[in-house]
Amino acid sequence: MNRRNALRKTALMAGSAMAAPSLFSLLQSCKQQNRLEWEPLFFSEDQARFISAFVDTILPRTDTPGGLDVKTDIFLDLVIAKTYDPKAQQNMASEIDKFNAETKASFGKVFAELSEEDKKAVLKKAEAETAKFNPKVWGTAVGDQKPVGFYRSLKSMVLWGYFTSEEIGKNHLSYDPIPGEFRGCIPLSEVGNTWSL
Amino acid sequence: MANFNIDAKKDMTYDAIVIGSGISGGWAAKELCENGLKTLVLERGRLVEHVKDYPTMMDDPWDSELRGSLTPELKEKHKVGMRSGFIGMDTEHFHANDLENPYTEVKPFMWVRAHQMGGRSILWGKQCYRFSDLDFEANAKDGYGVDWPIRYNDLAPWYTHVEKYAGISGEAMGLPHLPDSHFLPAMELNCVEKHVKSRIEKEFQGRHMIIGRVAHLTEPLNGRGVCQYRNRCSRGCPYGAYFSSNAVTLPAANATGNLTIRPYSIVQSVIYDEQKGKATGVRIIDAETSEVVEYYAKIIFCNASTLSTTQILLNSTSDRFPNGLGNDSGELGHNLMDHTYRVGAMGIVDGFEDEYYKGRRPNGIYIPRYVNLDEKTKTDKFLRGFGYQGSGGRAGWGAGSNSEDFGGDFKDSLMKPGPWEFFITGFAECLPYHENHVYLDKNNLDKWGQPTLAIDCEFKENEKAMNRQIRIDAKEMLERAGLKDIVDFDNEHEPGFGIHEMGTARMGRDPKTSVLNATNQVHACKNVFVTDGACMTSSSCVNPSLTYMALTARAANHAVSELKKNNL
Repeated sequence: MNRRNALRKTALMAGSAMAAPSLFSLLQSCKQQNRLEWEPLFFSEDQARFISAFVDTILPRTDTPGGLDVKTDIFLDLVIAKTYDPKAQQNMASEIDKFNAETKASFGKVFAELSEEDKKAVLKKAEAETAKFNPKVWGTAVGDQKPVGFYRSLKSMVLWGYFTSEEIGKNHLSYDPIPGEFRGCIPLSEVGNTWSL
Repeated sequence: MANFNIDAKKDMTYDAIVIGSGISGGWAAKELCENGLKTLVLERGRLVEHVKDYPTMMDDPWDSELRGSLTPELKEKHKVGMRSGFIGMDTEHFHANDLENPYTEVKPFMWVRAHQMGGRSILWGKQCYRFSDLDFEANAKDGYGVDWPIRYNDLAPWYTHVEKYAGISGEAMGLPHLPDSHFLPAMELNCVEKHVKSRIEKEFQGRHMIIGRVAHLTEPLNGRGVCQYRNRCSRGCPYGAYFSSNAVTLPAANATGNLTIRPYSIVQSVIYDEQKGKATGVRIIDAETSEVVEYYAKIIFCNASTLSTTQILLNSTSDRFPNGLGNDSGELGHNLMDHTYRVGAMGIVDGFEDEYYKGRRPNGIYIPRYVNLDEKTKTDKFLRGFGYQGSGGRAGWGAGSNSEDFGGDFKDSLMKPGPWEFFITGFAECLPYHENHVYLDKNNLDKWGQPTLAIDCEFKENEKAMNRQIRIDAKEMLERAGLKDIVDFDNEHEPGFGIHEMGTARMGRDPKTSVLNATNQVHACKNVFVTDGACMTSSSCVNPSLTYMALTARAANHAVSELKKNNL
């Protein structure tokens, strides 16, 4: 079954992306299958499975949608296919292959096949080993930016794909496309979540 | 604005020709048309009609397939503009094609161009500050460049004139070195900006932190709507709430019935008549057909943007002016300036966790210049001065990239606003150096067979000394304001990054050392006026566009009065 179609239907019914328990278990069972449920534009099947597993580990479903629920993996494939030049694409592909090769050397399995616990352990290790982004002023990083490496750039892309998706931007962050006024100091409780725009 | 006469072929003769339709060209058109002159505006790019041609103005991030990212082809098309960090899919169509418009960087220089009706007035930062006599007297006092032929009092009524129509919001401060504009109500500071302001003003005698002065309506004006705080300005504003030629000056010019605008018109040169001793018109190349056409008028206003205006004048050669129209002094192309701007500091403000704000204010804070104002504030480290822009706000989900966390709790925590961040970045005045210059490169022609521009410009020791001070002071201000995790930075950059290029056809008192007189007329060809950034004699440290508007309105009204007296 196509779990994303199913999810879209649920979202329509419930007015949010929260899944009913029965459907939730159905989705879980789908997940066990090893067949890719979407056709990547750029990634190989193995790379696509890696991206989906990575997205799901960084942003799993809680009582708000997870990264896979809003198709962050499919969006990243699209972005890489359409906005990366061939060299950057090649680099992305080989970084994924390298990441998988390393988990295979340590665990005997590629990242997507690891247990949840092992996935977390692998990402924790990557967190500790990578440089961080310098702060930005008006779109450009300040200071001497060290290369942040594959893990953190991909994590950053995952957050971007997730939080700029329509579902999250409209229904989970505080959405106000035309505020009509500026009030410099109001109680956070009047707004709730971070502004989405 | 649907009734623009774009079939200009019928009529080749006008009272006035305005080259360019950006901030200064729009003002020239408005003032000339309202004074009854039949005016032809030549625009090298396409028409952009207010609202109708703002295709992305209402888009949310997810409305764009790639959420604003550019394809490799578009990145290549905007390979210069990309360096600014300001181009996305939402504004790509308002940036020039860098591949079709090459130039040579003898030294690195980022030249951001916008080739369409309205030019960069669609994209600009909208910060508006008057120059003061501290600026107009600066060259005379320290000997760099030549003296401005005007003083603040000459321009003050024209600042008021343009401000009343453009609409500038801000707070009157009564500072002699940053004269107040005719203001609409000021935008508000947020909680943390108010807090930092009070700390800085308490800790540092003579320093102020004010809300930015901006060309945004906070009250309705002439049928334009007020700012809706969407902060999507550079896509074009459906309410006409910020000043652009498209929303403000060109519709006013059009309403007189005296305006003709011809798009796709690349001005090749100004035509000089040796017998008459004045200019008689301009020669254009149609950007689409490559046809060469001549238009004639009594007066010519050059408003193509700083470097493009100078490029046209350099290319306008005749027996009388073998080195470019009005270039008797040899100063045409010289004394190029910009502002430095990527030096400053940022930090975190503790507390205020239960406070937030509503609206995306297209404006920040401003710390006016506080050094070298008088004997008391004089430093021997550098000449002139700098101001800061900045803002405060709560971190959003982007902070998650650097977090060492991931997983469900991490995701849900990013739905809530993060800590309050605050930054300031300095804008420093650049001295006019003769050797910072541009020239025509006749070996490199563009697709229309025209010589391209070579730019040879660099910041020098005075600008670097100011940058060092900007960094030290920024850090000190944030420290004494009680911020934590302070990062100070100096991202030294090439000129052009400020997108405040000025000079290359400067005003002056002496035709031997300057190109233009006190009313922006070419000294030796008085019916040619230059009122865009090219005319600037010094650069101040404040954003220059408001001064272009005032100089343009002043020069246009002078032109009208001289025409009436048959002096042109």
